[in-house]
Amino acid sequence: MSSAPSATATSDATLRAGIDRSLRHPVMFFLTSGAAWLAVSIVLAIISSIKLHYPEFMDDCGYFSYGRVFPAHLNTLIYGWGFQAAFGVLIWLMARMSRQECRAAGTILTAGHVWNLAVLLGTVGILRGSGTGMPWMEFPTFVWPGLLLCYVAIVVWSFIQFRVRDGGRSYVSQWYLLAAMIWFPWIFVTANVLLNCTSGHPVMAAAINAWFKSALMFLFFIPVALGTAYYLAPKLTGRPIPSASFARLGFWTLAVVAPWAGMQKLAGAPLPVFLPYLGAAATVLLAVPLAVASVNILRTIFSGEEKLPKSPALHFTLAGLMGVLLLAVAAIALNLPGRLQDPSGPAALKLTQFSISGYGFEILALYGCFSFIMFGAVYFIVPRITCREWISSRFINMHFFFSAYGIVAIAFGALFGGFMQGSAQEAWLQPWETVTDVVRPYAAMSTFAWCVILFSNVFFFVHLALMWLHLGLRGPNPTMLDSSTNLPAPATQPSH
Amino acid sequence: MSLRNFILGLSASFGLAWLFVVVVPFVRMRNLEPITLSKEVDGVTGVFYPKRAGRIVNGAKVYAENGCYLCHTQLVRPIYAGNDLYRPDWGGLAKDSERGDTRRETNAYDFEGETFAQIGSTRMGPDLSNLARRLDAAVAAKGGGDPAALLYAHLYDPRHNPELRKSTCPAYRFLFDRHEIKGQPSIDALPFGGDANTELVPSSDAKALVSYLLAMRKDQPVPAALNFAPIDKKAASR
Repeated sequence: MSSAPSATATSDATLRAGIDRSLRHPVMFFLTSGAAWLAVSIVLAIISSIKLHYPEFMDDCGYFSYGRVFPAHLNTLIYGWGFQAAFGVLIWLMARMSRQECRAAGTILTAGHVWNLAVLLGTVGILRGSGTGMPWMEFPTFVWPGLLLCYVAIVVWSFIQFRVRDGGRSYVSQWYLLAAMIWFPWIFVTANVLLNCTSGHPVMAAAINAWFKSALMFLFFIPVALGTAYYLAPKLTGRPIPSASFARLGFWTLAVVAPWAGMQKLAGAPLPVFLPYLGAAATVLLAVPLAVASVNILRTIFSGEEKLPKSPALHFTLAGLMGVLLLAVAAIALNLPGRLQDPSGPAALKLTQFSISGYGFEILALYGCFSFIMFGAVYFIVPRITCREWISSRFINMHFFFSAYGIVAIAFGALFGGFMQGSAQEAWLQPWETVTDVVRPYAAMSTFAWCVILFSNVFFFVHLALMWLHLGLRGPNPTMLDSSTNLPAPATQPSH
Repeated sequence: MSLRNFILGLSASFGLAWLFVVVVPFVRMRNLEPITLSKEVDGVTGVFYPKRAGRIVNGAKVYAENGCYLCHTQLVRPIYAGNDLYRPDWGGLAKDSERGDTRRETNAYDFEGETFAQIGSTRMGPDLSNLARRLDAAVAAKGGGDPAALLYAHLYDPRHNPELRKSTCPAYRFLFDRHEIKGQPSIDALPFGGDANTELVPSSDAKALVSYLLAMRKDQPVPAALNFAPIDKKAASR
């Protein structure tokens, strides 16, 4: 009687090991090269942030002019780190959940190399002054078809795996990941074709660009993050998701609301006036799917009586979900358009429309929510595909705490500083210089916070590189953040 | 739920928004008709279809490539969306000695000649919609001069002007070339930075950018159909 389940367990373990082995090279490639781009992006963030309070810094060099470094920072963060982390996690999760080995590792790896080349060309293009000037789409125009082809070559296999999976059942993680896989090319092709290949009205082009930014955030990065968290939380705690109907509600409200958001950036611009205010309303409503999903996952983590395992993956996922909750609050706080009849009424949108809180919101979504959950996934996946355990719990702790302090400082600083900046902009009796003065301390704080984040990620890069070189620990016990649970003392063993 | 229904659900939820906020507005705004002016309300006949003079296409490219849009906006919002119109010289003049109140918000014809309206991301620096108008005022206050020369000096060293000592605008020195003086000094040469044999002259990119910036003048009267300023009741009753 007991032989049948154990036989299933053995064959399950064999299947999992086979899937992990089949994806080892592509996943490690995406995670390590993504981490390298993250380092580049953070260095560029520091340079651009310094220039906001100390404009003479490196000002003889055209390549490092603020107007080029800042777009290079965001584009490497998005296409260098964000997408590659998403690819690595997405192809692994889809293979595991569909219980299919990957049969196209070579194609994925090749496409991954081409993707990196495209991002490199695009970044150099921005720095040498060939950017397009469209936020989040600043790579020179020739780059985007390459990115699109690589994207298809990388994720189409996950789609096929889902299609041919056994049993026909699906889990909420798969909805989010599958939907993100479908939404992204739709958004990307729409924006690039309408802005680069056809000519429309210039103001509408700017509106589509604003929509693209929002859609990329809420229909690619956030769904990938939530899908991953829905996988990691039950896996790490051994508890089921408390409510299937909340999971469904969270997913479909996101699908229905998020595509309308984004154009609030153009409030007051000469385009049909319903577009920006519809965008503002949709962004406020996005708080519902964000809160529903994150509360549902947080309830999984906190539902049991027993103590939570001190797992690094769980720590990062938990922090990322807190970030999602904060993002939901920020989505409401930044976008309330106020009373149209009474311009003196509380109107967050007019204060935040052209202030640094937009940047704070984007970094909160990209780093505070998405990257934290991706870090959690990296700490979960890498030991499984390299068959080695993480070397140092201290490294992981350093990565976690300094990243968390850094992102909290940037997010709160920029969100709050944006309101201060917006109030100074609206105070039209004061000279314009007061606005510059208001921003300066927040810019200085942001520089410091990015340095902290760089410091934290040094531990991540070194750790990941060591794992990539197969220098991780061999042993039956995963590395936990609580040193008492690390049996037997691993540091005494040679790591070969 | 089957994969087919799932994809149908996604297509419906995304496609609806995609059509109504992206595709349909894009197609409908594609060819903006000129506005026909009428004698009764506008005082003149003809059409309103402003043309902008200057190297708009080249200048807009330099503006985009060097990220000016990160800190400068080109949008004077209506009063329901912000206080831009009240700032002196941003949206025209409250008291223009010849034409009265010329303040107006940005309209859809202001970006004529560009493919992408640089609405802007963050206002670290002031709005540029009416930059040329402000430069004219600055030149007039100094008792004459060339507005382009002010812009060249600003681009080379934004903190050169004592009034802008605290500006965080980046210096665009790479848009200027150092030339040997042969014969007469160049007409565009910067008044500083040169020596006995050499001078600093704007590159082609700098000239295009300045030409574009000098076309930023949004205080011309607009037709009644675009004029959303509240009716001045006192003036109307007089």
